[in-house]
Amino acid sequence: MESLQTLWMSTGLANFEFGQVVMMLVGCLLLFLAIAKNFEPLLLVPMGFGAILTNIPIAGFSEIGGLLHYIYYAGIDTGIFPLLIFMGVGAMTDFGALIANPKTLLLGAAAQFGIFATLFGAIALNAIPGFEFTLADASAIAIIGGADGPTAIFLASKLAPELLGAIAVAAYSYMALVPIIQPPIMRALTNEQERKIEMAQLRPVTKIEKVIFPLAVLMMTIFFLPAATPLVGMFCLGNLMRECGVVDRLSSTAQNELINIVTIFLGLGVGSKLSADKFLNVETLGILALGAVAFSIGTASGVLMAKLMNKFSQEPVNPLIGAAGVSAVPMAARVANKVGLEANPHNFLLMHAMGPNVAGVLGSAVAAGILLALVGG
Amino acid sequence: MDNLSQLFVEAGTLMLAGMVFVFAFLGILILFINIVLVKLADKYPDPIIQPKSQRNVAKSGNSATEGISPAIVAAISSAVNQYRQKNSKKK
Repeated sequence: MESLQTLWMSTGLANFEFGQVVMMLVGCLLLFLAIAKNFEPLLLVPMGFGAILTNIPIAGFSEIGGLLHYIYYAGIDTGIFPLLIFMGVGAMTDFGALIANPKTLLLGAAAQFGIFATLFGAIALNAIPGFEFTLADASAIAIIGGADGPTAIFLASKLAPELLGAIAVAAYSYMALVPIIQPPIMRALTNEQERKIEMAQLRPVTKIEKVIFPLAVLMMTIFFLPAATPLVGMFCLGNLMRECGVVDRLSSTAQNELINIVTIFLGLGVGSKLSADKFLNVETLGILALGAVAFSIGTASGVLMAKLMNKFSQEPVNPLIGAAGVSAVPMAARVANKVGLEANPHNFLLMHAMGPNVAGVLGSAVAAGILLALVGG
Repeated sequence: MDNLSQLFVEAGTLMLAGMVFVFAFLGILILFINIVLVKLADKYPDPIIQPKSQRNVAKSGNSATEGISPAIVAAISSAVNQYRQKNSKKK
C-alpha cells in the first residue's frame, strides 16, 4: 500500500500545481501560434516546448542538474547565444541598400524613439499599484521597441533576467505581428499622394565599400560606445565574413548551421524562463502592453521622419520606408513594399526599405549599448 | 511619489541622451559613407568582370544550342516518335 502511495506521489498528476498547468497551456499556445499561424516558428517552437518542459513537476528541468538550467546559464546568462545569433544576422545582412542611400540611416535612428518613449511609459506604469519597474527593468522592456529578438534577449539577460521570459515572448510575438501592427499606422500618417511617391533607383555599390563598412561601424563603436561592442562587434564580424569573399565557408556556416543550432538552444533557454512564478503576474501584462506601444511609436516616428526628409531632400522619399526603420528584418521592409504597392502597383519599395531596415538593426544595437552604458553600469 | 518623479526625470534624461546619441552616431556614419566610402568607390571600382562573364555565358549558351546540329535533333525526335508509337500499339 505504501509503495502504491509512493508511486502515486511520483506521478505528474499528483504534483501538478495550478500555475504549472497554466504555463504549459501558454507553451501550447506558443506552439499553436508557431505551427498553425506561422508566427516566428523557428524560435517559438523551441520556446513553447521549453515552456512545457520547464513546468513539468518533479522532472526539474530548470533546477540545478536539469538540462534547461545548464542551457540557460551557459548560453543566455552569459549572453553567448544572442551574440552568436547576431553574428549570423550580420552574415545575412546586405548593407548595399544602406550604403547606396546613407540618409536612410536617419530613419533607422528615428524609429529608435519607440524604445526611449517606452522607457518613459514603463516608469509611468509604476504609478499603478502592482507595478514596480526599476530603471533597469524599464530599459529591458523598452528594447522590445527595437524589434530585434537577439538584442532584446541580450539586454534583458544583462539588465532584468527575471523579466527575460516575458520580454522575449513579447519581442518575438510583436515581430511576427509586424504585418498587422504597422499598416494601419502607416496609412494613418500618410496620404495617398505620399504613398505613391516613386524613388530614384539606387546606385550600384562596390565591393570595397561593403568590406570597409562593417570595419568602419566597428571602429566608431569602439571610439564612442564600447558598451555596444559585443553586439555590434559580432554583427560586423558576420557581415565582414559575408562581404570579404575569402571565407564563404565561414559565412555560410554562420548564417545557416550555426544560427540554426543556436536558435534551438536559445529558444529552449528562453522557454525555461517561462515558469509560473515569473510569468503569471501583472507585470507580464504590462510588458506585453508596453511592447505593443513601443512598436507603434517606433513605426510612427520612422514614418514621420521620412515625411520630414521628403520635404527637405531633393530626391523624393516615400514616407512608407520610414516604417521599416524598426528593424524586424526583412518583415518590416516587405510590409513597406506591400503598402506601397497598394497605392501604386508599379512602385517597388523593397530595396529602398531595406536601407532603413538594416539601419534599424544598427540603431537598436546602438540604443542597447546606450542603455547598457547608462543603466547597467 | 517623490521616488517616482525622480525616476521620471532619470527616464527623461535617458530618452534625451539616447536619442541624441543614436542620431549623432548614425549621423557620423552618414558623413563617413558620403565622404570616405564614395571616394573609395570612385578610386577602386569593381573590376568589370560581370558583363564579360555574362557574355561568356551567353556565348557558351549559344554554342551549346548551336552545337547540336539540326540533323541530330531530327534523329532524336523521330526516334522518340517511333518509341511512342510502338508503346501505344502495345497498349
